[in-house]
Amino acid sequence: MKDLNRLFYPRTIAVVGASDKMFKWGSYIFTNLLAAGFKGEVYPVTVSKDEIYGRRAYKSLTDIPGEVDLVFNTTPAKQAMEVLRSCVAKGVKNVIMITSGFSETGAEGRRLEDEMVAFVREHGINMVGPNTMGIVNTAVSLFATGSLVKPMRGGISIVAQSGNVGNQVMEWAEQQDIGIGKFVGSGNEAVLMCEDYLDYLCDDVDTSVVLMYIEGIDNGRKFMEIARRTTMKKPVIALKAGRTDIGAKAAASHTGAMAGTHATYASALRQSGVILTMAPTEMLTLSAAFDAMPLPKGNRVGVITLGGGWGVITADECEERGLTLPPLPAHVMEKLDSMLPPFWSRGNPIDLVGQPDRALFVESLRLMASSDAFDAIIILGVIGATKFVVRVNQMVKDLGYGDDVNIDDLGKAFRKLQFEFLDYIIELMEQYDKPIYPVALVTSPEDKMLYSKNGGKYKVPVYKTPEEAVFCLAHQYEYSMYLRQRS
Amino acid sequence: MKELLQNAIRKGQKALSEYDSARVIASAGVPVSKSTLARSRDEAVGFAREMGFPVVLKGCAHTVTHKTEMGMVKLKLKDDAEVAAAYDELTGKGIALDGVLVQEWVESDKREFVIGLTRDPQFGPCVMFGLGGIFTEVLKDVSFRVAPLSELDALEMIDEIRTRKMLDEFRGSPAVEKGALVKALIGIGNLGLEYDEIREIDINPLVIRGSAPLAVDTLVILDAKK
Repeated sequence: MKDLNRLFYPRTIAVVGASDKMFKWGSYIFTNLLAAGFKGEVYPVTVSKDEIYGRRAYKSLTDIPGEVDLVFNTTPAKQAMEVLRSCVAKGVKNVIMITSGFSETGAEGRRLEDEMVAFVREHGINMVGPNTMGIVNTAVSLFATGSLVKPMRGGISIVAQSGNVGNQVMEWAEQQDIGIGKFVGSGNEAVLMCEDYLDYLCDDVDTSVVLMYIEGIDNGRKFMEIARRTTMKKPVIALKAGRTDIGAKAAASHTGAMAGTHATYASALRQSGVILTMAPTEMLTLSAAFDAMPLPKGNRVGVITLGGGWGVITADECEERGLTLPPLPAHVMEKLDSMLPPFWSRGNPIDLVGQPDRALFVESLRLMASSDAFDAIIILGVIGATKFVVRVNQMVKDLGYGDDVNIDDLGKAFRKLQFEFLDYIIELMEQYDKPIYPVALVTSPEDKMLYSKNGGKYKVPVYKTPEEAVFCLAHQYEYSMYLRQRS
Repeated sequence: MKELLQNAIRKGQKALSEYDSARVIASAGVPVSKSTLARSRDEAVGFAREMGFPVVLKGCAHTVTHKTEMGMVKLKLKDDAEVAAAYDELTGKGIALDGVLVQEWVESDKREFVIGLTRDPQFGPCVMFGLGGIFTEVLKDVSFRVAPLSELDALEMIDEIRTRKMLDEFRGSPAVEKGALVKALIGIGNLGLEYDEIREIDINPLVIRGSAPLAVDTLVILDAKK
């Protein structure tokens, strides 16, 4: 395994080609590093300036006093070799080659890249890229990509063969308060391949879930070996692009005709325990669920709903995805009989028939969470009631009544209740070690997807739809089975 | 086995004849229907009698890879006369044959599966399992695994096809022995790992006799570069 520790946890960084001119990579990376508050030293290296943003600029890497752990190169492809030679002179072991214009551009670029690869290998340098978007490590406030995205710290790490896709996922994560650990855009993968990063993240204590955006893998068997090892430790969620490329093969046999490139990739990933998704949004939603909640130990789901239709939809989704809704145990039935009107559903889903009484939700949830009959619970309603209550009262006001009601206070009070309920969900997850998926009655644009409690072991994602909750639960169940069968 | 494969490649063959394909596939632990290669009409009739009627006759040569389309299969022949006539018809088509394959007629219960092997440039030999028969390529109800397969891999790939219920009790037929399928899938994967000379394999159909899978049509495509 390659030692990538100083690549992700550098103490000192030099940016070759650093600049203060807009729309230059040397400016994006340098500005980003400073603005995000990287904890170590950052040295600009350029011949055209003596100082950038108050930092002394060096003419060459070798002029920098002290060790340099990591170099970003943003100078043109033609100067790459010269920069690499100065890296060797300075004893630099980690280089992020932002520069493009290599194998992705044609024969001359390919030649330059080959020359670079031979040199880098000979001198034992870890090189990211070329043609990479950069890296992120939130643990040390290292934000060095082409965009100024700054997600909060968390356990989800991303390896992307397209920097843009990775950036986009981080943007959404930032908007939804989903914590990110590390990101690396693997670029052309001239030296370090996506499986090398996976290998590193497998043992990285700051990473709890790995996301991968994959376009192609050179050494499929090596990748599988590393993926197998990693998925036994933490979930790996991947999006493989190029589903529709059937890969025109000479079809001498039926088997050959049917084994499209994607079918093989999908099978190989599944065989290694990797969770496959179809879109970047799915990837993030799933990783948040894996990162936030315990895994279900089985496929038996308890559903609590404020209304019948929602419960049926959820039940259908569960059945279609290999989950089941077992009947309610006798003691749960008895208890609810004593609390609910006589016409209640008397089964799973527990239909609270529109009773807005919070105590009913709390009690049903407690009954299901504590029962051995269920491995996971989906609770529809409660969360999101604030908007509903506020709206009703606003309407009354609009009609010219309800002067005694202060909408702001009402909103605040309900939000507080909502947070208390989410706290309760976290407590139950911790107590019974099973996941609970709340689905919001209505969501507001300002609602975050993830709710966490200080010091809590788990977090709660709040889902917009029952199908989103079931989607996550089904994948967590599948992964849980994968682990159980192999350990 | 290696010798058989390399000899065929040396002779410029792109595929093995069905007779040789069956031998290679049987060596991997896949049950293959009984067959013998007849080189004369009398031999064909003799083999058919030994085997018991009805039988199937197939023109056998490495060039005959799409037998049905080439009119090279004669099904369910009931007596000496039918076998003799079929032999004459197959050998009279002007296609050079190694001989005529006399094969036992397998009364199948309509359940047909496919097992295959393919080589992926990144992942190497991959095993395929799925719904077989003439609709294989239309319905594409297949799953893949990269070789070598563990028992669990094989079980999971069996369970991955949409029509997996056909492996359970089915219209009066017993459930398919999964253990035999698992052994076959693992065996085919190992063939791919062991012999670079094999580029692709098709076992289609793999029928079910009683509860046991049985390969009734087999094809090994060779890799001329090896």
